[in-house]
Parts: sequence; structure tokens; C-alpha cells
Amino acid sequence: MAPIIRLENVGKCYHSGLSCEIHPLDGVSLDISFGERIVLLGKSGSGKSTFLNLVGGVDLPTTGRIFFGEREITALTQRELAEYRRKEVGFVFQSFNLFPTLTVLENVMLPLDLLGSSDERRAMDILDAVGLAGQLNKFPEQLSGGEQQRVAIARALVKGPRLILADEPTGNLDLETGEAILQVIDRISRTKDATLIMVTHSADALWLADRRFRLRAGKLVEETFSTGIVAKA
Amino acid sequence: MTLSTLVTFNLRYYRRHSMLSLLCLMGISLGVGIVVAVQLINNSALSAFASSVDYLSGRATHSVISDYGRIEEEHFVRIWKHPGIKAASPVIQVMANTLEIAGEPVQFIGIDPFLDADFRDLGPMRRGERDLTEFLTSDVPVVYLSESLMERYGLGKGDILTVLSAGVEKKTRIAGSIPASGLSGGDTIAVLDISAAQEIFGKEGYLDRIDLIAESNTDRLLDIMPLGLHLTDSNERKSTLQGMLYSFQLNLAAMSLLALFVGTFLIYNFSMFSVLSRREDLSLLLTLGADRAGLVGAFLTESVLLGAAGSLLGIALGFLVAWFSIDRVSSTISELYFHISVESVGLTVPVVLRGIGVGFLATIVGTGLPALEVAVTPPVIGIKRQSIEDRAHGLKGLLTLAGVSLFGLALVAAWASRFSIFWGFASAFAVTFAFALFTPSILSQFTHHAGSWFKRFLGSLEAFLAARTIRASLSRTSIATAALAVALSMTIGVDTMIHGFRQSVDAWLEGSLQGDLYISPATTKWAHPLPDELIEMLRQDPRVEAVERYSTYGVRLKGKPARLRVVDGSVLKHRSRFTFLQGERSAWDKMEQGGVFISESLGYHFDLGVGDAIELATPLGKRSFPIVAMVRDYSSEQGTIQMDRQIYEEIWKDRKVQSVALFLKPGVSPDEVRRSVAQRVPGLDRTISSNTQMRSDILVIFDKTFAPTATLKGVSLLVALLGIATALTAILMERSREMTVLSYLGLTPAELGKMNVYQALVMGLVSFMISVVCGLILTYIITNAINYRSFGWSIDIHVNPWVFVKAFLLTGLACLAASIYPTYKLMRAAGVHSLEEE
Ligand SMILES: Nc1ncnc2c1ncn2[C@@H]1O[C@H](COP(=O)(O)OP(=O)(O)O)[C@@H](O)[C@H]1O
Ligand SMILES: [Mg+2]
Repeated sequence: MAPIIRLENVGKCYHSGLSCEIHPLDGVSLDISFGERIVLLGKSGSGKSTFLNLVGGVDLPTTGRIFFGEREITALTQRELAEYRRKEVGFVFQSFNLFPTLTVLENVMLPLDLLGSSDERRAMDILDAVGLAGQLNKFPEQLSGGEQQRVAIARALVKGPRLILADEPTGNLDLETGEAILQVIDRISRTKDATLIMVTHSADALWLADRRFRLRAGKLVEETFSTGIVAKA
Repeated sequence: MTLSTLVTFNLRYYRRHSMLSLLCLMGISLGVGIVVAVQLINNSALSAFASSVDYLSGRATHSVISDYGRIEEEHFVRIWKHPGIKAASPVIQVMANTLEIAGEPVQFIGIDPFLDADFRDLGPMRRGERDLTEFLTSDVPVVYLSESLMERYGLGKGDILTVLSAGVEKKTRIAGSIPASGLSGGDTIAVLDISAAQEIFGKEGYLDRIDLIAESNTDRLLDIMPLGLHLTDSNERKSTLQGMLYSFQLNLAAMSLLALFVGTFLIYNFSMFSVLSRREDLSLLLTLGADRAGLVGAFLTESVLLGAAGSLLGIALGFLVAWFSIDRVSSTISELYFHISVESVGLTVPVVLRGIGVGFLATIVGTGLPALEVAVTPPVIGIKRQSIEDRAHGLKGLLTLAGVSLFGLALVAAWASRFSIFWGFASAFAVTFAFALFTPSILSQFTHHAGSWFKRFLGSLEAFLAARTIRASLSRTSIATAALAVALSMTIGVDTMIHGFRQSVDAWLEGSLQGDLYISPATTKWAHPLPDELIEMLRQDPRVEAVERYSTYGVRLKGKPARLRVVDGSVLKHRSRFTFLQGERSAWDKMEQGGVFISESLGYHFDLGVGDAIELATPLGKRSFPIVAMVRDYSSEQGTIQMDRQIYEEIWKDRKVQSVALFLKPGVSPDEVRRSVAQRVPGLDRTISSNTQMRSDILVIFDKTFAPTATLKGVSLLVALLGIATALTAILMERSREMTVLSYLGLTPAELGKMNVYQALVMGLVSFMISVVCGLILTYIITNAINYRSFGWSIDIHVNPWVFVKAFLLTGLACLAASIYPTYKLMRAAGVHSLEEE
């Protein structure tokens, strides 16, 4: 089967001054198949978020090409990139990033609004699936951290994206809540048939990975250990 | 940590937010600038005019003036010979235009050169016999002209100066110049022999004034003062004239304070932003051991620096504005009140101090709350802006309550305006402020509901997000919206008032000016009589059905200036439609029997009405006239008394006419009559005008009167828009994270930009809605509690939809303009985005 994501020799560097000083990614190549679940490990500052941003079409690589299916997203215009994010990508962040001014339902409706759909059923269904059916009209600040992250997951998945990018989704939660969130992510990405790339700090998320990679010095190294000799970064 | 460390630390912040700091600085300096400008203009106008009064008074200690419009020549000798008088000089003082000095009216002063030598060093006496002989015996009257005037118009000794008396040309010859010393360069003075002046200006046998050098105790003099004449000095004359300007200047001052008021909102918004966005820094500094007093001190130092910079810039700006507009303002004052010519604007220490004072006051009021915020912030890192917004939302109910109370006070103040005009202004400010206090609740409600409507009915996600973002930043957006609402309310309130005023003036003109043709000098204040033959000629003209003769004189009523209008009651009775506020049309008959009409403003100022009698000084002593009607009349703020010509001529023995209205027979062409009159009396083509021309000339003056108001309103609006721009920029900075999340969700930079523009538009829309209501209430207050109380005339309020359309379009355009820079910044930043995790 053709890969859904393909990175060809992707490099990213941040300039400080004239020279390329920070090099979070350096000639990374990778194929990810449709429906696969990838876990990305690495120390803080190793370039994990950068990787997600590139794949998610938020940022452009300095060198190399990235494909989503047949489309080369590194060749898209700003407008087409926005379109790509709108349709295909669902982001989940460490610090939830809900809109404090919008209700739970409105937060979840936002991606549908952007697609020109006003089908509240879909939003309610997914909120139901993440276990928040009764909280539609609350504002984010009225929810606990775990609940907020559930809303964020619902927001990422409501449009049925083919790609889910989760950046340390449990980073701000306690162990138990974090585990529950992972369960939700696992369950929903499976039922929705989405490809998942998840960045994590901790070893506890490894169980849901089909493959896992570690970013070190700009290179992506696949780890094949079945259980975790995983650096506690 | 020392204060200077903290201040340096904080100053770095300003460099990082240079655009915001700049906007705030502009707000302060515009506010201060306009206050300073108005003060400078007011002061310069007063001092120019005071120095000209002083100059013209010369060494006189007192003057005799008349309460009934003129002094008969025969009184002079009696006064002159009185042992208490050391010297006396009869004076004629008339304004007139000349052909050679087009566009600048000249002050003609007629004196007796021998008698006047003790008083002034004008022209002839200083030069000796030969000049004097020429002055007195020349075939054409000779004049001495102020030096600067001769230079400016390239005139020289021996040149002809053609004086226009009621439009009719009278030749004079320039005999020399009046030296500039002691004379302000703008003064346009021509001196001539008193008998020549009497002849040219139709004042044979009369004087305008007698200047005196009297012994210090004037009690003895008072006894010999003829009936209706009284003693005054230059200070009293100055203060009487200044009193006439009081309302005019008070209005300007109030409008300028408005700009400062709006500026204060801007300062508040900026300093609140600067405190909030530095909360983290402040908390950190506190945990590092900085003491709270030090932080507050540093913050206040910052504010002082900001206030100082804003005030100084404002003073410079104010000076420039005053310098550029003084000409226009002084020509307006000349047209409405009395002639002044202001040559220069002087920056005086009190004005500078007051400029600095108001600048600092605004800064302190604007930064007070934010400083408190610094003072009470707990040293806990990571307090979310959200908690402040929660507080704002919690506070809005309280603010609304405060607004309601203030509104109540405004109503009380409006009622109290009957005691002092001050309360009228207080009421207008209180209403405006009350609506500013309502703004958070209104804005919050509106954005809550409208947000959903925008999405549902317009299908605009950007508008939905914009509305919600405004609501989320209520503490900031409501201040900007309130500031704009204040400026807009004033605009709508004042414009609606002006529109109603103009309509009322127009209706009054229509009712009182029904003649087909008018022969009337540029301004009847100059009191130039028309040639006697002209009146006779017109009355015998077969094409003319009726001639209405009109004159107006400055008289004094209970020591205050008023105007006496002399009319042909028998003609006007059938040919005018006066608006009778008291009395009715039958009053015309009573006028012919000796009754008088008074204007509304006279009734108000002197508390008189139909049924009362008015005591007037006349050449025959005090006479009492029954008031038979009170009519609408906008011709004079001081108030007018209208008397029938037959009664006037009987008592005053004066048949002079200053202006006439011609009622033509049916089918006669006004143009033809006009041409033939102008042909027979050369020069009259300048003063004969059609009914429509006459009316539109008066309305032009009316419009000019309100030109300064328009400028001041514009400045307030400008300051308010700076406020919108500041708020937008601040929101972008505070909400940059949300903007980034939106772009992760797939919003394009263009869509983000659109959302930002919508934010400005929604704030503008809410401001506009508030200002429609507040503006209309203001119209009522301005009309009834300010205008009526200061001028004594009532105005019919006409709501002009165009005023609202204009304000609406203006707001839209202005908000678009205010959002340009923030939107540009946002869209540029949106190109590169990565969300930093905390
Ligand atoms: N916009 C940026 N400009 C400059 N440097 C950046 C930027 N974003 C990230 N970096 C740098 O790139 C490196 C990788 O960052 P990131 O991908 O956020 O790491 P991780 O998510 O693994 O902690 C870090 O050194 C970071 O400082
Ligand atoms: Mg990261």
C-alpha cells in the first residue's frame, strides 16, 4: 500500500543570524502507512514538535520534500496548506489550547464551521464518544484538565481527519488521567481509521505504538525493542 | 533593587512595544494639544482685543457712553467744562470696508485733533501745523492709516482711500501713517477729523463716546451726567465685551476637554495593557526580592515620563493648531460679536503650566487603576489573563449600576442648569460618561448574541470568532468601544443640535425676511445709515409696493448690552411670519401704540415676558414700554427689543435707516429693480441683494460659527480611533496564542486578517449603536441645558437621518483604517507559526 506520509531527506534549520545554527532535523526520510500509529520520542528540544509542524503543514522544511498521499505538501501555497490542515489534519496539544471564549460545543464545531458544515450532530456524537455528552454548553475553564483534553481530542477528530498529530497530549496531566486520555485517543483513532503520530516524553504511551522512533541530533532512529529501554528524557 | 534599575527594566518594555507606546503618546498629546490650542486662541483673542481697547483709550481715565445708542453733541461742552474734568475728547468709532484694503475691515476713528492731543498720539498733532491745516481744510477728508496696513497694501501718502459707508463710496486721502508703536500689527486703524467722520458715516450731531481725563473721585461727575448717559472706564468696557464672548469660549473649551476625556481612555487602555502584559515580569521581580513600593514607584515614574512627553508634545501641537486657526476664529468672533484682529499667538507660562497640568491629570487618571493592579498583584507566577477578564465580566454589572446612578445625576444636573450653565456642561459629561459605563454590558451582550447570528445567518466564521474575541477581551475592548462611543455621541449630539439650530434659524429667516430685495450693509452692527434720498426714492418708485425700514442700535439695559431694533410695524404686520412665543399676531397693533416685542433671549436674560414693562433709557430720559410679544429671534445673543419706527422717531428724533426691505408689486422683476437702483446710487450694487442671497449670506455666517466645533469633534474622533487601534494591537499581542491555534486549525492568514478587521467593525458598530441613543439624549441636553441657558434661545430639534448615516459610514471607514496596521502585523506574523508549548 502506498504510504500516506512520506518524508524525503527533510531538513530543518533555524537561523540565528546568518548561519544555520539549530538543526532539529537533518536529512530525515520516512514512510508512514495509512492507519499506522507512530510514537515519537526524544529529549526536550530534539525537534519533535518541529517534526509534527512539518508533517502538519504548519511549517516548511528547509530542505527535502514531504508528501501526503500523492500530494507534495511542501509545494503548496499558504492557502492550500491551510486547506490541507483544515481537511486532513487534527492537532492535539500538550496544553489543550481550547478557545476560552467558546463553549465546549462551539470549540468542537469550529473545524466543521471551517469546512462549511453546521452539522451539530457530528460534534455531539464525538463529544459523546469522549465522554462529555453532558457538558456541551460549559466553557473550557469550567472543566478539569483531563476533560479539556477530551474536548481537544474531540475537536481534532470531529472532521474525521486522515492524520492525527498529538504533541505530548498527556504532558500536562497526571498519570491516571493521562492513561485515560491515551485510551480515548487509541479508541477513537481506530474507529475513525486515522493515522496517528504522537509525540511523548514518557514510556507509558508505548503500548499503542505500531512503530516508534527517537529523534537524536537531527536523525530519526527507529527503536525496535518490544519493551522499554526508553530513556526517561 | 533600585528605582532606576526597575525603570530601565521597564523602559526596555516600551522599546519592545514601540507602536503601542506611540499610539498612546499620540493620544495624550492630541488631547493636551487641543486643550492648549483652545486656551491659546481664547487668550489671544481676549488679549488682542484688550490691548486694542487700551491703545485706543490712550490716557483716558473714563469714557462717557450712552445707554440709548448715541450721544448728542451738545452734551459735550457741559461735560468738558465741568471742574472735575481735566480733559475731554469726543470720539466717533465706526467699522467700515474700503475699496483699497479689500477683505480687511478698517476701524475709523473720528477725533478733534486739538482736544485729542491730551489722549492719544494719533497722526496729525505730532507733526505740526502744516499737517494739521491739511487735516482740517482739505477738500477731501484726510485720514491717517496704521503704518502696517499701508505697508501691507502698498499705500502711500496722497493716495485715495475709498470708504464704503453702507456700500456707498466716499473718497478720503491718505495724509500719513500712524506709527506702529503701541499698536498691534493686526490693528487696522484710520484716524480722521471728527466732523468728517460724522459726515461720512451719517452721524451728524452725534458722538459715539466722550473720552475723559477725570479726577480720581468721580462722584461729582455722576450728578451732572445727562439722562441716559453714563460713565465707564476701559476695564469695564473690556469686561463687558469679554462677557459677550463668554459662552462662545466656554463652548470651545468644553469641546476641547472632550478630546482630553477620550484621550484618558486611551491612556488607561495602554497602561492597563502594559501592566497586564508584564504581570509575569512583575511577579518574577517580586519573588526575586523587589519590593512592591519600588514596583509601583517604577510604574508611576514611567507614567510621569509618558505624561511629560505627551504634555510637551501636546503643547507644541496646540501652539501649531492655534497658530494656524487663529485667523479663522478671530474672523468668526468679528462677525458675531465685535471686531478683533489677532496678529500672533503667544505661548504664556500659565497656558504651558495648564497644558502640563491637564496632561498629567489625564495620565494619572488613566494610570491610577493599573498602578493599583501593580500594587495588589500577588507574587504568583502564571496568573492568567482570563482571571482579569473574569473580573471585568463580574464588574460590568457594577459599572452599569454606576452608569444608571450617573445618568440620574445627569438629569438632576440638567435641571440645575437653570442656576448655572456649569451644570449644563456637567450634565452633558455625566450622560456621556454614564453611557461609557454601560458599554461593557452592552458590548458583552451584543457580542454574545451577535456572534451566533453572524455564524448562523451570515455564515461568517470570522465574524463569529471576532465577536467572541471581543467578548473575551472585554476589559480592553469595552474601553476602546466606550471611547469611540463617547466621541461619536458628541458628534451625533452636536451635529443634530446644529442641524436643528440651522433649521430653526432658516425658519426664522424665512418668517422674518419676506421682502423681495434687501439693501443692507454687510453687517448692521456697523450701523451705517443709508442715504436719506435713497429711502425717499424707493418709496416713490411705482414698482415698489412697500418699503420696510430697519435700524439697529446698541443700547444698555440694566447695565448690560442689548440691541434695539427699529422696524416698520405697519409693513411687517402683513408681510412677515414671526414665531410668537408669547403674544400673537394682534401684538403688531399694540406695537404701533407703543408696545415692544422682545426676543426670547432678552426675555431669558432679563427675566421678562409679556405683561411686563421694559425700562429703556432714551434721549428724553427713562421711558417704560409694555412688552406685547416675545418672538423667536436669533439675531443677537444679548437679546433684542423691537420697536415701531414711529414711536422711535418721536422719542429719539432720528430718521436714519440702516437697511430696507423692498416688497415689490406683483409681476415686477426683482433683478430689474435691483439694476435700476444700483444705477441711480453708485455703490449700492454691493449691498442690494435678493431674498435668497440675503438668507444664504446669513447661513454662511452661521456655518462658520460652528467650524471650530467641527474641528474639535474631529480631534476627539481621531483620538478615539487611536484607541481602537491600540485595543486591536493589544488583543493581537495577548491573544497571539489563539491566533496561532486558529491557523493550526486551518485558518489562512487572510481569514485571520478578516477576523481582525471584523473585530474593529463590530466594536465600531456597538459604539455607533450606543452613540445613537446617547447622542440624541445629548442633543436634548445641549439644546435645553446648554444652548438655552447660555444664549437664551430655544431650538426645534430636527432629527436628520443624514447625520446618522454620516456617523455610521465614518465609523466604518475609520475602524477599517484603525485595523490596517494591526491586521498587517497579524498577517505578516501568521506566515510563520509554531506553537511553543509552555
Ligand atoms: N521558531 C523557532 N525559531 C528558532 N528556533 C526554534 C523555533 N522553533 C523551535 N526552535 C528550536 O528548534 C529546536 C527544536 O525544537 P522543538 O521541535 O520544539 O523540540 P521538542 O518539541 O522536541 O522539544 C529547539 O532547539 C528550539 O529551540
Ligand atoms: Mg515540543
